[in-house]
Amino acid sequence: MNVRTAAGRAQPLVDGIEKVTGRARFTGDLETGNCLIGRILRSPVSHGRILRIDTAAAAALDGVVAIVTGADCALTFGVIPIAMNEYPMARDKVRYRGEPLAAVAAVDAATAEAALELIELEIEALPAVYTATEARAPDAEQLHEGKPGNLEREVHHEFGDVKAGFAQADLIHEQVFECAEVNHAQMEPHAALAEYDPERDRLTLHSVSQVPFYVHLTLARCLEMDSARIRVVKPFVGGGFGARTETLNFEIIAALLARAAGGKVMMRLSREENFLTHRGRPDTRVRMKIGLSKSGQITAVSCEAVMAGGAYAGYGLVTILYAGALLQGIYRVGAVKFDGYRVYTNTPPCGAMRGHGTVDVRHAFECVLDRMARDLGLDPFAVRRANLLEAPMFTDNGLMINSYGLGECLDKVEAASDWQARKGRMPLGRGLGMACSHYVSGAAKPVHWTGEPHAVVSMKLDFDGSVTVLTGASDIGQGSSTIVAIAAAEILSIHMDRIRVVSNDSVITPKDNGSYSSRVTFMVGNAAIEAARALREKLINAAAAKLEVAPEDITCEGESFFVEGSTQSALSFHEVAIAALAREGTITVKGTFTTPQKAQGGKHRGGAVGSTMGFSYAAQVVEVAVDAETGQIHVEKVWAALDCGFAINPLAVEGQIEGSVWMGLGQALSEETRYVEGLPAHANFLDYRFPTIVESPDIYVQIVETIDPLGPFGAKEAGEGALSGFPPALVNAVGDAIGLDANFLPLTPDRVLAALIKYQKAARKKEAVT
Amino acid sequence: MSRALPKFRLLRPESVEQALDALRATPGARLCAGGTDLIVNMRRGLVAAETLVDLSGIGDLKTIGMDESGLRIGAGVTLRDLADHAGIALSYRAISQASRAVAGPSHREAATIGGNLCQDTRCLYYNQSHWWRKSTDFCLKYRGDICHVAPRGKRCRAAFCGDLAPALMVYGAQVDIAGPKGIRRIALTDLYREDGTDYLTLGRDEIVIAVIVPPTDAASVYDKIRVRGAIDFPLAGVAVACLTTPDGAKQISIAVTGTNSRPVGIDVPPLQDREDPKAYFAALGKRMQKGVSPQRTTTIAPHYRRLSVAALAMRLARSLI
Repeated sequence: MNVRTAAGRAQPLVDGIEKVTGRARFTGDLETGNCLIGRILRSPVSHGRILRIDTAAAAALDGVVAIVTGADCALTFGVIPIAMNEYPMARDKVRYRGEPLAAVAAVDAATAEAALELIELEIEALPAVYTATEARAPDAEQLHEGKPGNLEREVHHEFGDVKAGFAQADLIHEQVFECAEVNHAQMEPHAALAEYDPERDRLTLHSVSQVPFYVHLTLARCLEMDSARIRVVKPFVGGGFGARTETLNFEIIAALLARAAGGKVMMRLSREENFLTHRGRPDTRVRMKIGLSKSGQITAVSCEAVMAGGAYAGYGLVTILYAGALLQGIYRVGAVKFDGYRVYTNTPPCGAMRGHGTVDVRHAFECVLDRMARDLGLDPFAVRRANLLEAPMFTDNGLMINSYGLGECLDKVEAASDWQARKGRMPLGRGLGMACSHYVSGAAKPVHWTGEPHAVVSMKLDFDGSVTVLTGASDIGQGSSTIVAIAAAEILSIHMDRIRVVSNDSVITPKDNGSYSSRVTFMVGNAAIEAARALREKLINAAAAKLEVAPEDITCEGESFFVEGSTQSALSFHEVAIAALAREGTITVKGTFTTPQKAQGGKHRGGAVGSTMGFSYAAQVVEVAVDAETGQIHVEKVWAALDCGFAINPLAVEGQIEGSVWMGLGQALSEETRYVEGLPAHANFLDYRFPTIVESPDIYVQIVETIDPLGPFGAKEAGEGALSGFPPALVNAVGDAIGLDANFLPLTPDRVLAALIKYQKAARKKEAVT
Repeated sequence: MSRALPKFRLLRPESVEQALDALRATPGARLCAGGTDLIVNMRRGLVAAETLVDLSGIGDLKTIGMDESGLRIGAGVTLRDLADHAGIALSYRAISQASRAVAGPSHREAATIGGNLCQDTRCLYYNQSHWWRKSTDFCLKYRGDICHVAPRGKRCRAAFCGDLAPALMVYGAQVDIAGPKGIRRIALTDLYREDGTDYLTLGRDEIVIAVIVPPTDAASVYDKIRVRGAIDFPLAGVAVACLTTPDGAKQISIAVTGTNSRPVGIDVPPLQDREDPKAYFAALGKRMQKGVSPQRTTTIAPHYRRLSVAALAMRLARSLI
């Protein structure tokens, strides 16, 4: 290929101007005249049998136009076709405080809220379980029929001879980690605008979805409408992080209300309601056992993960499968055993969140590995290097690895942080820690398996010489529309400003599987490249005809088509476009991407989860200062390196790595949900403490490029891989700083101080004995 | 989940007298300045006032005077202006630091010192939505008859969380209060009482109009324990002032916020000239732990707040001697 003109160059996001000028319109901004306001009545109890919901008084209130309840939708929904057990509004039973029971559409918010107060509820309270331990107790109240022990899904996988692996080990550690539940805390609160056209029986929904295609399918199911009568549009979205991968109850409720009202309903959720809708990372207890040889080679791994998943299945079984699957694919790990338990609890349902399923398990793994290195007298870098993989390869659980830059990531952060000179030589209270991580570049097998391509991109070239790229991939701030534009610009040798990206309107753009599992760059990027190549071929043929040469003699560079050596007869892009249109009129082309069969994972049950075309790899070093008197931790600096195959847009890659580090920082230091008998004590941004700019350290980012053979221009994912390395690197740094090995997340000052007091007592006792 | 701001009438007096008249004429009216506390609570259905008396149009309340007789801060001075005042930063450092420690820059732009001193007490069971509080049968502080923090107790345990009060208290600050009978001046500490519901001694028809701080040679410092370096209310905030007496003793005064329903002054003996500082500070730490009574009003354990307030007070006091 020629020297790249677009791919690999730092580009501001194509939709950035609208965002920084405030011109971007998000779903909540779309309210116009004749718009009713929707509000949801939520369960006041954690678990109970619904005896009566009486909406008569509310319906009689002046200004109330429609009321819907669980009686208005008898069809379940859920992201996993085999595990749909949630109703948009509860029927028969409620299973968490905050679960929708009914909803009102009224002329204004005050009327809608007043109407909610008039709805009479009679609920017979049942015993509730809030933790996995309570839920698994022998006499625990069961949330769902047919799910004894409140077990949504258990997973038992074993690859290789684990017993023999541990027998070979010179050192074995087994430790338990408690990782608190966290939430995405995306900036834009949930919102949906539903418009029902009663004359035509058509529904249009604007929503904040990461996967409008799922929303489309779910609306058709729950409203029992032909999907051809539904249109789903995704406007600007202010963050997803997995929260909006699944269709969410408020989207269906807004549509039900709009149909009942025969008009338009705006549903904006409060921040508290965002936390009640949840879908974040579950509270997870990880028991991690690793065997190492003296030289640091991993001989075996045994891991048990127990997740308190909330009241409904949602993504649960995928989350627990990811936790086990991604024990592999980063190091040579010897034999591997995984036992996973996804448990129902009377709390808001958990779901997908950046680093889906892998973060807490990776945390435990990297912490234990670090402590074992210490016991063996090995450097933390050395113990990782002793277990590096060699691409291309397949792991024992069938994961395909074609490119692998972890070694280079290690080299980069080791050098940048001056690790060898500084590690172990810092004053008391300051420390360095490191850890590694990886993540999939798109799930190789989609949830809805139909056999169709995984991604489709269309391109249109018209008389004006502009190129319109049509994609169903949701840009939720991560920059996916920009990637598509860059791919088109690169292949067509045209300027970025000749291209417009139109995305996410089901009546215009091709279906896309959506923005989840970091699939868009890889799959949609490849589809965009294929579409652009098809268009380029048409243009070259037209140019060749015009210049009366063979197509292979045409060179296309910088918006110009010419024959090598005779540039004076060069044709401009627009001239060639007109010539191409003369043959067939407005040109539309399409490109697709389908994952290769061999990428689709092992044959074992659940083997598709974790399978991907390529993994990103990351290493990071964290430097901390710990105040042993108050338990406060300050992160001084972070060095992060990520192998993303190839950085199509280095500016966006850098931003994604910083964002990953920062989100990991939040989970490590201060973010957690806390329930008081099922009521969220954290449901606002005062009490859900994500880091502020004060906590944000300097982050030194380095990009490693391994050119993946299947990736678009060699690229892999860049948005998730660096997250799960941060919490263990921080915990390892705290251990280095003050000797405390923390087995909990987050490291809030109260927890740190309590653990430190315990640790110091134990240390004094030990000293007294010896 | 009440989120629509309830309807209310907004009165905008141009003088303190007009404001007092408005209060007298409309029982149940509430005072409002920057609105950063009150409006948030109104949105959550915690304030049922039909009339707000907005003090932000009263120019007299927005001045800072500083001379050899001391410092006078109008109640309407914003925390941003307070934080930016070079003279205060130089002579009354704790006040400057405390004003900078409140919330974030956008709050400080609107929030006033009067509002911060009168700020509503806070509790995990109180600062929640209507749906949340209704689901747990409300609480003693508002609409309910049980304190979920101390169910056997008779009084509300909500914590006073203003940052400014302790920083002013260590200087022996006073407040001027305008009321129907004219202006009265009381010690700032007497503005408060240890009751989360009824935490101010201020009459419903009275307005705090100014803070008076005597001239001083004392050095001072304010800092607070919090999980994040911005936004958060204090889990415990500590102000310390230290004055060296002619005989070489260090007179130390300490006040704390965030741990009780009122800001608390802690009685500390002076550190004598030849006294062993190690023993002195150990005793000071014990005094701090005894002097505060943090409750389960936040998600962060009371025990931690007790330990950390002592650690912080010792550290701050040490930094001044």
